[in-house]
Amino acid sequence: MMGPQNQSTSLQRLNHAEKRIVRVLELAGLVMDELANSTGPRTEVLAGHCREFMKSIKEIQTTLREEIKSACEYRPFENCDYGARISNEICCQKLEYIVEQLDGMNRTINHCKDGT
Amino acid sequence: MDGKLKIDLDKLPIKRLEAIDEAGNEQFPPDIGYEEKRLNMIRRIDFSQVMERDAKKQKSSKEAVGTQAWPWQSLVENLQLAQQELSIILDLISTVEANDAVTVAGMQRPKQLPHESLSDIAVSAATKLQRLRHLGRYFKQSSKSLEQQVTREARFYGSLIRLQQNWKVKRQRIGLSGPGSESFTIDLLDNSTTDLILSSRSLTLSTVRIDRDPAGILTVQLPSKLCRSLSVEFPGSHSRRKQKGFVKGKMLESGLYPQEGKKEVLTDENVNERVKDSHLILREIHQSIFQEQVFDLVNHESYNPSPGVNVIAMREDRLHLSIGQETSVSLCLLPSIEEESTGRVESNNQAQIRENRISSTDSLGLSAVDENFDSYTRNYLNFPDPVSLEIFLQYLFHDDVFLKSKDRRNDGCNFLGHFCMTIAHRIFSRKVLSLLEGLVEGIPYLHLLSHPTWHSRISSWSLSLKVPQSILRSSRRIKPSGSNDLKSGIRSQFNTKVVVNDDQINVSGEGTPGLVGSLRGDYSDSCSINSYGCDLVDLPVAILHQVANQVIDWLHEEALIVGMKVSRDFLCLYFDLEQGETLGLVANVDAEDTHGCISWWLVFDDGSMEEGKLAAEDVEFRNRRFLGHLSLEALYSTLMDLVGFCGSGGSH
Repeated sequence: MMGPQNQSTSLQRLNHAEKRIVRVLELAGLVMDELANSTGPRTEVLAGHCREFMKSIKEIQTTLREEIKSACEYRPFENCDYGARISNEICCQKLEYIVEQLDGMNRTINHCKDGT
Repeated sequence: MDGKLKIDLDKLPIKRLEAIDEAGNEQFPPDIGYEEKRLNMIRRIDFSQVMERDAKKQKSSKEAVGTQAWPWQSLVENLQLAQQELSIILDLISTVEANDAVTVAGMQRPKQLPHESLSDIAVSAATKLQRLRHLGRYFKQSSKSLEQQVTREARFYGSLIRLQQNWKVKRQRIGLSGPGSESFTIDLLDNSTTDLILSSRSLTLSTVRIDRDPAGILTVQLPSKLCRSLSVEFPGSHSRRKQKGFVKGKMLESGLYPQEGKKEVLTDENVNERVKDSHLILREIHQSIFQEQVFDLVNHESYNPSPGVNVIAMREDRLHLSIGQETSVSLCLLPSIEEESTGRVESNNQAQIRENRISSTDSLGLSAVDENFDSYTRNYLNFPDPVSLEIFLQYLFHDDVFLKSKDRRNDGCNFLGHFCMTIAHRIFSRKVLSLLEGLVEGIPYLHLLSHPTWHSRISSWSLSLKVPQSILRSSRRIKPSGSNDLKSGIRSQFNTKVVVNDDQINVSGEGTPGLVGSLRGDYSDSCSINSYGCDLVDLPVAILHQVANQVIDWLHEEALIVGMKVSRDFLCLYFDLEQGETLGLVANVDAEDTHGCISWWLVFDDGSMEEGKLAAEDVEFRNRRFLGHLSLEALYSTLMDLVGFCGSGGSH
């Protein structure tokens, strides 16, 4: 995964490309509707849609080409961090325990304060 | 036709050569298909005579009837023609029905009337428009469904990526390639350590399936059996059940929502929640696997004889060990029960009190304990806290196996032995601590401090005796410096250090008999004199002796400063009066004294006794006065009072 400095990760770019494909399909539907207009198709509307269509197709194509070129092979786990994860879980348990102890001490102190 | 009849005989109707060229290449006629053959055969039948006969018939019938001007004649003829055409068509249909192929030679289209052609154009235009609209609708529909699928997939794979950052995700292809055929699993086994023994239960538990619900939300399959966790139990006290089940409770709660039928808009929040829940479940399973591994390894280690490990009983999920002579501990794998989600961390005493109320029959009489005095509860039980032992065992195992730092412990015992000896040490040191606390309660000027040793089998305390500042010294503008001011050699605190190593007690006390001037050198705790081992039963008396000795030391110093002629013994301070008389201040220690452990006697010796030790227990001695349990200030003022009696020769 890319670092947080980049504006968009490759996943986000691919997601954007998918959304564009959806838009392209929508445009095709609109064009068909326009052509099926009973009073005849309006050329400027058609032209606009078709222009957007072609532009989107081009963008999709460039994005996909880029992503395919830069996609790396899927490497299975080389370094397993489960050991470190267990260390952290043990540390979590220790911390919870210590917090309990401190709470108990606090209660004792408060009780003594109240008692005296 | 001629009279001659020609007959052609083909010798072999198969593969007759059609042509041959100069290079010797033969050209055969192309294979004639079945239909072609039939067509050729049909063509060979000559229908022309039949057609001529019909035509002649028609003509003759027409001529014959021409005179009779029947108005329906043309209609009849038309109908007859139509009937013939229909019969041909019927024949055609029956032939086609019988699955024979028929080729239509050619048909001439009847000429169109003008309005027909126009209506044809209109119909085709309308059809085209219809098809375009249909196509438009199809595109829009597919764009909507694609959008939904994209969102679903984005949700699923987004969640999967987030899980993949922390866990090992594996992909399996089942069946043919296609969108529904991939399934993902999460592998929770750590393959980096190959020498771990894995039970079959761990293996089944370690592969967690990822489910995808119709809305694209990723869910992790809940384990079918309850996860088991490690628990340390002492006899007579019930273990606290940790709240592991709360995650399951939450998952079941939120799992109801998709089944309600109401389709809520799925926001990012919901997806986040699900991812977090999946993460929690995975953590729980992962921890459970680890704890099962710990238990398995403990079982295996217990087969090897090692110091400190004595196995009493072994069951499938419970190991019973004996600690020392008196107690035992059992390590068990217990399924985590589900509790109401009252919050993640339940306090120690509440759980303890609940357990005690449940098991009031065999408890140690704790049902009446006030909720707030949880520290007293623990001391009363005299066992170390089981939770801390569970954490310690996990830590030891992890250290041993994963981090492979076996070289740290060089006393030859494995981690289970270390664990058992730690428990023994903790129980023992509790006893020591309660003794020390009893002592300190009895002596108001003695303070108890615990010191961390960062070793699980060593405990250390120090008892510090704070002496009041003497008047003379305070006039010298000396900065009060905590324990020892080395430069001016002034003591304001005497320390006695108690170190327990496994079950060996070592007492070392500061306090040397000597003058102020000889108080040189390093008086840090590590270099104190009077260091000796001790038994548990002898400990109170030893410490009291040490403390009393320190008090005597201090009084001795103070007396020397004011110029008195004094000498000291182990527990006595002798003031030399005139005429060979001696006044002795004697300390008496008694560990069981409820008013205070150190009491003081004033003893007068008029020289009739031998010089030497004055025995405080000598009942024959007449001039004894019991002073009681004096504070240090009182002792000091007593000392000052005695200044008048014993000057340093000549000043009186």
